[in-house]
Amino acid sequence: MKYRSQIVARAYFTVALPLFILQVLMGLYLGFSYFAAVPQGVVDVFPFATARAIHTNLLVLWLLLGFMGGAYYIIPEETESEIYSVKLAYFQLGLLAATGVVAVVGFVFGWNQGRPLLEIPRPLDMLVVVGALIFLFNIGMTIIRAKRWTAIQGTLLGGLVFLALLYLFGIPFYKNAAIDWYYWWWVIHLWVEGAWELVTGAILAFVLLKVTGVDRNIIEKWLYIEIGLFLFTGIAGTGHHYYWIGAPRYWLWVGGIFSALEPLPIIFMVFDTWNHVRKRNIHVKNKLVLNLAVVNAGYHMLGAGVWGFAHTLPQINYYTHGSQVTVSHGHLAFFGAYVLLNLTVFYFAFTKFKQIEVFDERRGKIGLWTMSLAMLGMGLTFGVAGVIQAYLERVLGLGYMATQEHMRLWMAVTFIFGIFLVGGAIITAYDLLFLKPAGDATRPLGSQQLAEGGTV
Amino acid sequence: MSKKFAFWFFLIGTLSSTALFLVLTADTHRQVKVLTNADKLSEDVVAGKKVWEKYNCNDCHTILGFGGYYAPDMTKVYRRIGPEGISYVVKNPEVAFKDSWRKMPRTGITDEEVPQLIAFLKWVDAIDNNDWPPQDSDKGARRRDLRLAGAVGMSRGAALFKEKGCIGCHSLEGVGGDIGPELDGIGSEHDREFFRKYIPNPQSVVPDSTMPAQNKLTADEIDALADFLSNLK
Repeated sequence: MKYRSQIVARAYFTVALPLFILQVLMGLYLGFSYFAAVPQGVVDVFPFATARAIHTNLLVLWLLLGFMGGAYYIIPEETESEIYSVKLAYFQLGLLAATGVVAVVGFVFGWNQGRPLLEIPRPLDMLVVVGALIFLFNIGMTIIRAKRWTAIQGTLLGGLVFLALLYLFGIPFYKNAAIDWYYWWWVIHLWVEGAWELVTGAILAFVLLKVTGVDRNIIEKWLYIEIGLFLFTGIAGTGHHYYWIGAPRYWLWVGGIFSALEPLPIIFMVFDTWNHVRKRNIHVKNKLVLNLAVVNAGYHMLGAGVWGFAHTLPQINYYTHGSQVTVSHGHLAFFGAYVLLNLTVFYFAFTKFKQIEVFDERRGKIGLWTMSLAMLGMGLTFGVAGVIQAYLERVLGLGYMATQEHMRLWMAVTFIFGIFLVGGAIITAYDLLFLKPAGDATRPLGSQQLAEGGTV
Repeated sequence: MSKKFAFWFFLIGTLSSTALFLVLTADTHRQVKVLTNADKLSEDVVAGKKVWEKYNCNDCHTILGFGGYYAPDMTKVYRRIGPEGISYVVKNPEVAFKDSWRKMPRTGITDEEVPQLIAFLKWVDAIDNNDWPPQDSDKGARRRDLRLAGAVGMSRGAALFKEKGCIGCHSLEGVGGDIGPELDGIGSEHDREFFRKYIPNPQSVVPDSTMPAQNKLTADEIDALADFLSNLK
């Protein structure tokens, strides 16, 4: 850590991790409900809908806290100055975390806006907006005061402003359900395939810059190309959500063409990451950070790129839209693109917070691979269930529950993978919070001579 | 390639995509009024949308394909099970899904809210959304009609079975709903007399039956249906 105020990020990450665990535990309950017979009495008190609202909102909350913490970590180093107000940063964390807790408790008691992923009631939305404004003010003032501008912080700030603006489109009540969904996707799609890609692109560029020591100009040049491709394909690519909502027919063309191009920036990013890692000119002490960055890029490609492309064309999407195929894509993409990215940053930053030069990687490796493989298994079994659903329900016209019966086995297998995922997540969170330096006896072979290299 | 070039690549790519997207958004607003029958967005429909949101229906059900995947899609539910079907299920989910391994929660929806919810679902059903979802599509319905006609013939009873909405809950040869049991071969289990009593008042014959009484059918229609069902052997 070069600047004292970077320590703010530690609080953000420390709050984010338990929320992550709670999120995956709730996911396990959802998986259970898909194959087991949950009795009427339980369903009446704690419906699937409530559990799903908690699962998805916790995901968004902990990822955003991770991004915000990441921004507070990066901005001081990029601007070469302390954060404008540390107190404000802590206040903002308290505000957002409290809002999140109130929202989750509210869901249990039926206080809910009733729109998927945007369930947070409108009064709480206002608190989220206040939190976002404080955040942008704090980051903005740090940059203005420092008068130092880099492409990485520009991308980061641009992404964060874009992210906050889009949230506003999810707040009003729309009378027309088609218009409602039209703007719902401005939040959901333009977040994950727009604003979030900017934020995470900048964060990843920063981590690669520090870990690999590749020249800043090269990293920033490719960052521009990468985010340019992301936004070019992603913005008009929103159209792939407008096929079946009552919007004009040309969205079939616009959505189909632009989203068919959406894997391009991801392929580019994988190539780019791999290239920087290969051409690194620093000896890497904590290989896990680098491994995470590479697995992140590959998984991003698989979940968002391949799985997204697989059912984005209208001819296929007609049968897979709103089926377990969507679920499969959603899980692989979020895990690949955003969960692993956050964990990469967490590992990178926690070594600095704790001033550990070389940390003991054994637990972290177990956590990373357990999670990654379990999620891969879940993606596949969700996918198999989804194909069964698309064929039996949508092609042959079997009833909904008759079809679910045929998918039941695959959902049970998903649940088993889910147990491993939760296990991996707990190991990872524990490892991060209690990160230990590698003892001499446990240090992997060859790391002695690497220790003379630069810092990671 | 210079960093400056990369920056311009980013700027032009982003702005061109944004411009296209905003122009199409403006045009969508113009066209969506017709495609969704915005003139029919009555107070009841809007109130129904609020009911839909109040009970968080959308985190189990999808509508227009979005939401939870835990329960059937509601886009075309109005044509699938009709207003009576919707009313029956939302008021008595514990009865409607007594024999199902997946349950629907009792929401406590009020008698005033039920017709509003139905008005909303009726409005959604009429949205011109490129004939999605396939299982409830016009194209799919024609195909299923042909399959059903091939399997059980074209008698008056068969036509009533389809038109009076029996098929919304029951299936024949895999065609139809699954809230109630499949009726393939039901004629070898029960005779004509049974159906004549059962259809207008199921609980009078089978006390723990979960089927609602079909009291809007004429005696003549019940006879035709009883003929049809007792011949399904």
